Amino acid sequence: MAKSPELQGALDLLILKSLAHEPNHGFGITLHVQNASEGLLRVEEGSLYPALHRLERDKLIRGEWKVTQNGRRARFYRLTAGGRKRLADAEQNWSTLAAGVAKVLRFA
Amino acid sequence: MSWFRRKRRDEDVAEELRAHLEMRAEWNRASGMPADAARAAAQRQFGNSGILYEETRGVHANRFLEAAVQDVRYALRGFRRERAFTLTAVLALALGIGGATAVFSVVDRVLFRALPYPEPDRLVSVGVMTPLDTTEFMFSASYVDWQRVQTPFESMTSFGFVVNCDLTEASPVRLSCAQVESNFLSTLRIQPLLGRTFTTAEDVRNGPDVAMISYGFWQSRYGGDPKIIGRSISLNGAPTTIIGVLPAAFEMPRLNHADLLVPVRLDRNLAPGLPGRDIRVFARLKPDVTVAQAREALVPLFAQFLPTVPPAFRSQVSLRVRSVRDLQTEQSRLASWLLLGAVGALLAIACANVANLLLARSARRRRELAVRAAIGASRGRILRQALTESMTLALAGCVAGCAFAFALLRAFIAIAPSGILRLEQAHLDGRALAFSLAAALASGLLFGMAPALETARAEDLTGARSVGARRGLFRQTLVAGQIAISLVLLTSATLLMRSLWNLEAAPLGFQPEHVIAASFELGPSRYPTGVRQQAFFEGLEARAAAIPGVRAAALSDSLPPAGGTRARPYTALQAEGHERYTRDTGGMIVWRFITPDYFAALGIPIVRGRGFAEEDREPSRNATVLSQSLAARLFPGEEAVGRSVSFGEREPWYTVVGIAADVKNNGVAEHASPEYYLLRRHGSDPVYASTPMRGANVILRTALDAQAAANSLRAILRELDPTMPVKVQTFDERVSQLAVRSRFDAALVTLFAAMGLLLSAVGLCGVMAFLVAQRTPEIGLRMAIGASPGAIAASVIGSAARWTAAGVLLGAAGSIVATRAIETMLFGVGARDPLSLAIAAGTLTGVALIAAWAPARRASAVDPLEALRVE
Repeated sequence: MAKSPELQGALDLLILKSLAHEPNHGFGITLHVQNASEGLLRVEEGSLYPALHRLERDKLIRGEWKVTQNGRRARFYRLTAGGRKRLADAEQNWSTLAAGVAKVLRFA
Repeated sequence: MSWFRRKRRDEDVAEELRAHLEMRAEWNRASGMPADAARAAAQRQFGNSGILYEETRGVHANRFLEAAVQDVRYALRGFRRERAFTLTAVLALALGIGGATAVFSVVDRVLFRALPYPEPDRLVSVGVMTPLDTTEFMFSASYVDWQRVQTPFESMTSFGFVVNCDLTEASPVRLSCAQVESNFLSTLRIQPLLGRTFTTAEDVRNGPDVAMISYGFWQSRYGGDPKIIGRSISLNGAPTTIIGVLPAAFEMPRLNHADLLVPVRLDRNLAPGLPGRDIRVFARLKPDVTVAQAREALVPLFAQFLPTVPPAFRSQVSLRVRSVRDLQTEQSRLASWLLLGAVGALLAIACANVANLLLARSARRRRELAVRAAIGASRGRILRQALTESMTLALAGCVAGCAFAFALLRAFIAIAPSGILRLEQAHLDGRALAFSLAAALASGLLFGMAPALETARAEDLTGARSVGARRGLFRQTLVAGQIAISLVLLTSATLLMRSLWNLEAAPLGFQPEHVIAASFELGPSRYPTGVRQQAFFEGLEARAAAIPGVRAAALSDSLPPAGGTRARPYTALQAEGHERYTRDTGGMIVWRFITPDYFAALGIPIVRGRGFAEEDREPSRNATVLSQSLAARLFPGEEAVGRSVSFGEREPWYTVVGIAADVKNNGVAEHASPEYYLLRRHGSDPVYASTPMRGANVILRTALDAQAAANSLRAILRELDPTMPVKVQTFDERVSQLAVRSRFDAALVTLFAAMGLLLSAVGLCGVMAFLVAQRTPEIGLRMAIGASPGAIAASVIGSAARWTAAGVLLGAAGSIVATRAIETMLFGVGARDPLSLAIAAGTLTGVALIAAWAPARRASAVDPLEALRVE
């Protein structure tokens, strides 16, 4: 996904939604997004990590070091209460936007 | 964020990214890739890990701070490139900030710092103002009444005199004992360091003899002995118990030196009608009561007190309640503000100078800034860079200024050996350094504004010169402002110098040259009676007169020209054949108790009749000498010699034997008060019996070396009483000490004015040089079409002269306003003295034209070919 500010919102939404499903590390998030979108969306590392740390700085998610099933140390993120609230707002906005855009596309 | 946490976070980010790469590689391997291909693919997909690391880490970085560090580095690099500019700017700032810091550390104790008592603003001095004294006091009878019924104060306390007292033990010393009430320390809210304060049972007549000692005395005499409490010492021959030690920071509210506190023992049951002794009264205001309300609440008490005052005094007696700080700083406040104002002006001049330097620099750097703007630096970023540069300069100036302040403070203390309020306490402490930092930051903002407000525009890359003229105008206005402030400083300095000159040259009415004086006071233990004291004085007089080289030797209870003499209201006096003056006190009349050689020793001319003779010292003879002004007042238009005068209602009549010339007797700066002289007579002198005076001064007029006579005098006094401290001084020293404050103020203001003048001259020179450089092509053109070098130089000087004239006009107006504030500090010269203003303006104009001369010469030496090639 690109780095333009309009799409940053979309990236944040994907990250938050993915973490709402289950706490995960960065690599896990890229896999989850890819699988859930059936290969349509791919999150780039170059955008993911700055976005994760920005969300953490803004206290929407919290990261901590844990050990994965494969016995590897990784930084796991999970939603905070603020993150859950932000996710609800973002989902609402996104649906409205998507519905609006779809209508306009159909109309034309 | 702390450095450790930041480092930790950075390591976290690196590890997190590494973990991601490895997981991706593992994933690739699991989907069937060979190991190195899996790693390479993961790395490829990951992109530039360095950039990603920086970007991720940067989310947490304090962007503002990092940019600031970058700005400071950039600024320092620039300053290193331009050494001359940096040195000049830092030097100017060091002068301004250093001067301000040094003066602040001197006046801080006087103007701003809390007095060393808890809640010092609640402490007031209470009393009545009378012609008898220059500050307020009370009589103990009314004080006892007021203390009982007053409402505005939590507590009210008093101290009597600070008197000499003798420690009569092995190695006896003369000490100062302050007589205080038992609630004195509790009202000031001072706890003793050791032991306790006085009880009310100790503060009564015939109570047990107890004393508290000062920290300094405890250390110097008893080596800080912790078991000092309860020790018995011999004070004036009486065994006295030490019950407490005062804290090191303790000071008397009137700043008197006191080695010991002893109970004052006021008589609380005085017979009606007796006023009691005079005391100094202090009180602590109740919460929420203001000084004005307290005074208001005391008015009814004052109204009851007034009828007890002799009628002649009533119209000149008033109630006074004021804060202890006001009491302490009465004399020094104006001078302190004056010095602070002078350094403030100096700092403003320095700021204008640095602003001008920065403007010139930013004109040189216009291309650089334009490049930065062109490649995308926002206006805010460039503004911040400019402010960072000025702040960096300001801080460098602050550091250099503190070093300068340290040296300056040493110099202040050196030129003012004594007599400046709290100067000995002044040093560069945290407060002074904080002030210096604040001054630096404020000036950094002030002079940083000028270049920061200049917008950097990409258009400047074209090198168009249209903005130059506007900027020149701003810079010249700055210089005119500098010149105006300089003129105010110079005028004040000139006024103070002229005033000092007048003070030093003021006729004293006597000849202080070749005169020495020794001051001493007889101790109470060795000289308990008037007879013993008089015997000492007579022995001393005879021996002093026999010192080789002495032309006249006299004794007196006080010395001119200082004040603090004995005095009586004029209404107490009566001239033979005239009514007593009764409208009011008529002012105070000074009197002195002297031996016959007094007039000869001091060189005071006898204008009519004769001075005292040896025969007049018979106790049966009552002779007096009047000063010229007193004689003229008592016997207007008549011959006074041979007439009689009485100096008090129940006192004998004295025959006027002579009239002496008027002598300064209230300090040098005041008018001389009328004065009369009484003679110390032999045997049982009735005057001495009624007014015992332990203190006396020996006055010697010498024909030979004054130092030798002083040594002989010291030897005689030591022989007569080895325990008695004696102060021997030449009269010239005494007189010059009276002007110490004026000399200090005048020297400092002149120093600051000179520095201001120098900075203004440098500023003017810099601006003219800048303008000449900017006008070089124009000058070249003019010369090419026939202008002479002289005409070019004249045009440069003319432009400097115009701005100087504008500054001088502005400064003259400012001076007229500013100097009015120091009017009361001046002696023999008015605040609007046109000569002082003219001297200052002349000096300033002269220096300004000299400063403009070098750039003018450079302009006239411009080579037209060279200049035109630039364009």
